[in-house]
Amino acid sequence: MTSRADAIANALAWFDDDTGYFETLKQRVAVQTESQEPSQLPELYRYLEEFIRPDFESMGYDVTVYDNPFEGQGPVLLATRIEDPALPTILGYGHGDGVRGQADTWTKGEGPWVLSRDGDKVYGRATADNKAQHTTHMAAIKSVLETRGKLGFNSKFMIETGEENGSKGLKELVAANKDAFMADAYFASDGPRVNIAKPNLTLGNRGCVNFDLEIVARDGGHHSGNWGGLLANPGIILAHAIATIVDANGKIQVDGWSPGPMSNSVREALNGGSRDGGADAPTIDENWGEPGLTSAEKVYAWNSFEVLSFVTGNPSNPVNAIPPRARANCQLRFVVGTDFENIRSNLRKHLDANGFDTVNIVDPPPGNDAVFLAARTPPEHPWAEWMRASVARTTGEIPVMIPNSGGSICNDVFQDVLGIPFVWMPLSYTGCSQHAPNEHILWSLTREGMELVTGVYWDLGEEGTAWRP
Amino acid sequence: MASMMSAASRDTAISAIEEYFDNGSFKDVLARRVAIKTESPEPDKRPELYLYLEEELTPYLGDMGFECVVHENPRADAGPFLVATRTEDPSLPTVMTYGHGDVVRGYDDQWQEGLNPWIMTEENGRWYGRGTADNKAQHTINLAAIKTVLDQRGHLGFNVVALIETGEECGSPGLKEFCAQNKDLFKADVFIASDGPRLRPEQPTIFMGSRGVFNFTMTLELRDGGHHSGNWGGLLANPGIIMAHALATITDARGKLLIEEWRPQPMTNSVRLAISKLKIDGGENSPDIDEDWGEPGLTPEEKVFGSNTFEVRSFVTGNPRNPVNAIPPKAIAHGHIRYVAGTDPMTFLPTLRKHLDAQGFDQIELEAERDYMNATRLDPDHPWAQFAIQSIENTTKEEVAVLPNLGGTLPNDVFAEVLELPTIWVPHSYAGCSQHAPNEHVLPEICRQGLQMMTGLWWDLGSGDTPKAS
Repeated sequence: MTSRADAIANALAWFDDDTGYFETLKQRVAVQTESQEPSQLPELYRYLEEFIRPDFESMGYDVTVYDNPFEGQGPVLLATRIEDPALPTILGYGHGDGVRGQADTWTKGEGPWVLSRDGDKVYGRATADNKAQHTTHMAAIKSVLETRGKLGFNSKFMIETGEENGSKGLKELVAANKDAFMADAYFASDGPRVNIAKPNLTLGNRGCVNFDLEIVARDGGHHSGNWGGLLANPGIILAHAIATIVDANGKIQVDGWSPGPMSNSVREALNGGSRDGGADAPTIDENWGEPGLTSAEKVYAWNSFEVLSFVTGNPSNPVNAIPPRARANCQLRFVVGTDFENIRSNLRKHLDANGFDTVNIVDPPPGNDAVFLAARTPPEHPWAEWMRASVARTTGEIPVMIPNSGGSICNDVFQDVLGIPFVWMPLSYTGCSQHAPNEHILWSLTREGMELVTGVYWDLGEEGTAWRP
Repeated sequence: MASMMSAASRDTAISAIEEYFDNGSFKDVLARRVAIKTESPEPDKRPELYLYLEEELTPYLGDMGFECVVHENPRADAGPFLVATRTEDPSLPTVMTYGHGDVVRGYDDQWQEGLNPWIMTEENGRWYGRGTADNKAQHTINLAAIKTVLDQRGHLGFNVVALIETGEECGSPGLKEFCAQNKDLFKADVFIASDGPRLRPEQPTIFMGSRGVFNFTMTLELRDGGHHSGNWGGLLANPGIIMAHALATITDARGKLLIEEWRPQPMTNSVRLAISKLKIDGGENSPDIDEDWGEPGLTPEEKVFGSNTFEVRSFVTGNPRNPVNAIPPKAIAHGHIRYVAGTDPMTFLPTLRKHLDAQGFDQIELEAERDYMNATRLDPDHPWAQFAIQSIENTTKEEVAVLPNLGGTLPNDVFAEVLELPTIWVPHSYAGCSQHAPNEHVLPEICRQGLQMMTGLWWDLGSGDTPKAS
């Protein structure tokens, strides 16, 4: 008689063995899968072919590595294990790529490419984002398979290699191979928990669109003594324009940029979800953002506008001249319900109505132009409720559900292309320095994740708990 | 000898300077001076500043019988001064003149193709080079005209003290202290020098003061580093947005000043009348004036010569060259005010502080960037102004544009207030000259006319019929 507890115990035994989890992750981190570096494309293939394919094949999966439909972008692996077409199919996800190593700026561990443990922290590029997270999923599946002799459900698992470069081509690739990727529900891990002390489920993501605001008043600078008072200053005008987009406390003032009323289920899901980013997190400005919302509601259920950069004149050597142009790189993060198609046109109307017809809305620089759509599985969806129950079976506590992450990821592939419900269980924490030097995971948190994820895969194939769509 | 001298006249002196220009001598001297990279904002160019004074100007003036002394700046980090004196007779009138040998940065890579800021180049009828307009052509004209009068007349008929500084483009650090400490070096009856633009390229111009300038920095630093805009957007105040709002309270969206204490005193009738005779025209390639910008109800000339203006000189937040999806930690704006006589610059920062605090922007820190220069004016009816106007009109047969003050800023407060001299400026450039920007240039026809005008003016100064000391 095997049990849920046996599966978790087996997974933890492998996790705790020096030749198990640590060694596996060490080999994976050593592959320099920097998707923002075109020259590293061969490493992206090597990661999938040498490290991911053999593991899935040893678990009886059929594995296909798809070339990206976009030139120069990384491949996507899909592993498929169908036990019985009558059983539900669960799609998993991970990404094998990381951001650039930034080796010369690391001060901890042994640099980005050598996994290195220091107390509870385990350093290495792409550990938190996302190699540890999908390594946990693969180990959990393996433990369930070995403990039970079968999964008890059908499993598909995709690993892409372009997430840090905007998942270019992923949507098109999945759309072109829809049947191969189709499933009944989606479960994966990426990103940080909201609160380091407690697991949470995340049901979607904010969308993100960047654009530049630009005024080109004239060709060159002009002496402010000879011309001051006669020539419009684009820095002043653009500052005024921005001041009409949000108020001085960050509240958005553009018609058509609101997500509409928050649903009760979203509000309830966030009730009790307090943010704790750990010791190094910045202090929240309570007066910033949409008035009347809690901190959690502001970031997980509302839109935010940022000026990511602004420049006019020559800031490193200011001269006494009226600058000829001003440019601001701006961003709107938005939740489901926002009129995404008309973000720019609504801003255009707003600027024109306020007399800022000289402010042009233009494309952002190519290095920062990824567009993400907002996506969300409703909190009351049966798949979300099933996931909550499974986590509670491990922890004894109903986990918090975050309607969507503040950040952005490729959920629109699952929402819009496959049309399936999706739930994330983030296994890292906000202080993990993802995208920065000294990226790391917490060993204790990762071990806890091993238990939680194994529990979910066990429950999926167990008679009394299995999810039936 | 005496008969040769008597053969010389105002007209022959002017003919001689025309020949000096027409045979290329003036252009050669100017090109040699432009080639010296006297970029005062670059600390490692200090030796070039000395070179300009010691190797270029001292031999030139020494040949004319000037006694030349290079003085250290009372400020250790600022460039030297050349004081050149030629005293013929203490009973004769003494004129103080001035120039600056330094230039702004070259910005070499921003000049249009084929141009190099340090190699003076003629193209489309213009002479391009850093420092041509500001100020090397201007003092080169004035000194060459003195030399011509001396050559032609055998003596000047007046005394000269010339001050050439090398820090004007950094705000003339130490100039005020140096002059205050050495007032006896600069005892004079009148100050006549050249810098800045004519009102219109073709119209001889004098001005008797300048707007002041007050530069300051606004800094808002909310936290140490950037934070992911997905995880934190909506929770962390964005300093770029707050700074934009703060700037938007200083002027309205069309540049009208909103801080009451920053607005100028009403123009006097005499100033308004003088300004009403002026018509700004920057020449071809000058920018189109935005009629609806600035103080409503003023003419363009009143805006520049009779009013106060605020500019955002630069503003930066985040990393504009390589934007990332993070809430930036900090925003910095460099602003300044140009202001006319009658406005007290000591009040600018305290009133801005009060204004920002009242609007809720108390986290923005304010700092004055460098010494301000006071605004100055001289009545257009002053005898020395009238003397200069008459002399220039005699030479050019054209009506002189008389500006109560320049729109730009010169360290004229040192000469007008510290040395208490009547100050007359005769500009030899024009507003479209791209001074302080790439592609700085002078127009050779203005240089030629400037040489004629200054030769006539120096000639008249030595002819005995000058205003008496007041």
